[in-house]
Amino acid sequence: MPILRGSVTFARFHVDPKAVPRDARHFFSRALARGAFEPLDVQRGEEDRAAGFVTLTDADSTDFAGGVLESGRALFAFRVDTLRIDAAAVRVELERWAVAFQAEHKRPPARRERTAAKGEVRHNLRKRTDPTTRVFDVSWNLASGEILVWAASRKAVEEIAAALETAFEVNPAPRSVVALAAAQKIPEDALAPSPELMGLAGQEVPHV
Amino acid sequence: MSKRDEARAEGAFLRGDVGVDGGATAADERDTVEKERDEAREQLLRGRTYLGRELLTWVLWRSEEGEPLVKVEGGGVVVLFTGKVVLRGLAGDVVELAARGDAAAYSPQVKRALASGLLVHQARLRFTVGERAFEATIDAEFLDVRSAKLPELLTEEEDDRAAERLALCEELGAMMDALVGAFLAERTAKPWRRKTLPALRAWMTEGAARG
Repeated sequence: MPILRGSVTFARFHVDPKAVPRDARHFFSRALARGAFEPLDVQRGEEDRAAGFVTLTDADSTDFAGGVLESGRALFAFRVDTLRIDAAAVRVELERWAVAFQAEHKRPPARRERTAAKGEVRHNLRKRTDPTTRVFDVSWNLASGEILVWAASRKAVEEIAAALETAFEVNPAPRSVVALAAAQKIPEDALAPSPELMGLAGQEVPHV
Repeated sequence: MSKRDEARAEGAFLRGDVGVDGGATAADERDTVEKERDEAREQLLRGRTYLGRELLTWVLWRSEEGEPLVKVEGGGVVVLFTGKVVLRGLAGDVVELAARGDAAAYSPQVKRALASGLLVHQARLRFTVGERAFEATIDAEFLDVRSAKLPELLTEEEDDRAAERLALCEELGAMMDALVGAFLAERTAKPWRRKTLPALRAWMTEGAARG
């Protein structure tokens, strides 16, 4: 777990510390339960991906009532399970089925039969495939409102920020230069590019 | 139209081969150089990345003297670029340049590239406050912290160590916020175009000429 040991790589966000009510323990356990991780149902479900919050110390646990608060911070994790069925394995199984079909019916399978068989092959392979699991730690400083998302992938960072927004009904603002300028209420005009630094002196650089 | 034809038409639309009217979309006739330049421009403007690049370039300039750049709770913060630095830009034929070496960021070669219009997009920075040193790779777009090195932990209990580690990470964040604050204060002040930018350009060109 990166919070406890290992590579120190994180993205920073900020939320208004007032967003956390006095009863922080109840606030966190309720919001985390709302966005809790639900495992993929490999046998029956059709979903290939599941994501949600888990406890920091046990990625199989969504029991947040035990407490996620420690030293003035909420510590928890975000788990993403992905089920990938190898396309080559589907092809091999399907070819095997096609050979058996031809031997039995003395004709090649029709397109519709092949499509149905492909679905069945995928379903059977799905039952035998283990999902890959990735867990990203999250720390939330209650006093400062600083949230650290311990992930290197920007896609994961953005997914976790969106999950926090939904579960906690807060608006995590990234700590980029633009966001910090916005927080300081710096007018848009003052944030235009400096063409002199871009080797474009005398030219207008369009910006959003 | 048969179902198969409908599916084919939908596929062509989703791939962007045809427009909503069913007519073929215009082929991309830009050459590789133009495409690269357009991508570089898109990268620069996306989420106002240029602000992050201007920040890192400004920090590089200001850090060369070795004086504290900002103050935080623990004292003055001395910033030093160390290791790899990645420059990106729009002007000229080069859209990205990476330089390796302990003091590569301060080399005449890098200054020459900066003078030609490239800006710092990613760099390894060392922040020194008193006797404690932090290191991190920072990118201009999101200011994400990568592969940071923190000062040695003082506590021994597992729980306390985690809290100390987090406090150090937050301290690193506070240093970055202080740098951004100082940069924005200077950038939004009147002398930015009149004094700061010419001085920054002069530092680049003089440094490049020395190489």
